[in-house]
Formats: sequence, structure tokens, C-alpha cells
Amino acid sequence: MNNRIKEYRARYNLTQEDLARKVNVRRETIVFLEKNKYNPSLKLAYDIARVFESQIEDIFIF
Amino acid sequence: MDMKKAIVVFVVAALVLATTGLWILSSYGKFKLFDLATFGIIICVVGFAVFVGYKRLTSARRGEPAEDELSKKVLQKTAAWSYYVSLYMWVGILFIKDRVNLDTEELIGTGILGMAVSFAVCWLILNFRGVRNE
Repeated sequence: MNNRIKEYRARYNLTQEDLARKVNVRRETIVFLEKNKYNPSLKLAYDIARVFESQIEDIFIF
Repeated sequence: MDMKKAIVVFVVAALVLATTGLWILSSYGKFKLFDLATFGIIICVVGFAVFVGYKRLTSARRGEPAEDELSKKVLQKTAAWSYYVSLYMWVGILFIKDRVNLDTEELIGTGILGMAVSFAVCWLILNFRGVRNE
């Protein structure tokens, strides 16, 4: 599964730390997500999509 | 709460160090090469615990949780991997126990330390490799 978190983060001018704090995970988790080393739970994917005011399928590509 | 979780790791590390210190003091002058190696491994394991505690502390200071879904998943997978490694290690210890000149306590101590080392190594591998839903 790929994702466009980095692209959306840049669009919303958020650092990895900012996004981590907003979705209540550690910064390392955002790093792993961006490197495609971790597939998030549905809840985390939903939380990230909500921060970026988008649908889950816009950010996560199955 | 997150700060407490980080501090618990430091307390456990300090307890292990204190116990090791007592062991060194009680066996002062009777130290063998094997004991020195054991001491070195204990220091490495304590160093690993301090590293984990430091990571948790910095996360808590940044306002992030000390544990999240990724760290819990890494911990679960580490436990599973190190369990398999430990099984093979104990079989190995059973195999060599008649071929080496070590007391029963030393062999059990080696096994316990080996389990701690295998846990630390598996954790490091999974932390660098990541956990995908394969």
C-alpha cells in the first residue's frame, strides 16, 4: 500500500511532528508511514484523512 | 501517564544495575573471564533499556504518546520473534551443557541473558525494517 502523506503534509505546511501530535502517534510512526514501512490501522488512516480534509482513498493507494 | 511509562524503564534499568553491582561486590576477587563477559552483556542490555526509555521520554516531552499502534505492534512481533529464537537457543544450551565446563547456574544465567539479548536484537531489526501487514 502506498500513500501521499508527504505530499499532503507539504500542501498543508505541516511537519512530521505536527501531524504526529494531531493524530496522537509518535513522530517515528509518521516517518514509517511515509517510507511505506508500516500500514496504518483504519482508525489512524481515518484520522490522517480528517486532518487533510480528504477521503482515505485520496491519501492511501491500495 | 506517558512520562510514568518512560520512568518505569529507567527504574527497572537502575534495579538491574544495582543487582549487578551487588553481584560484583559479593564475588570480588573471584571474577573469571566468563563473569566479565556476562557483565558486558548486562551493561549492553541496560544500555538498550535506557535507549528505549530515552525514546519514550523524548516522545512524551514533544507531546506525543510514549506508545502508539506502531510501537505496540513492534513489541508484539519482537516478543514472537524472540520467543522462537529463545527456543532454539535453549536447545543449543541443552546440546552444549555436557561439552562445556560451566555450572548449572552459569548455564541458566547464560540462557536468561541470551533471551534478553535476542529480544533487544529482534526489537532493533523490526525498528529499522518496519512492520508491514504482510
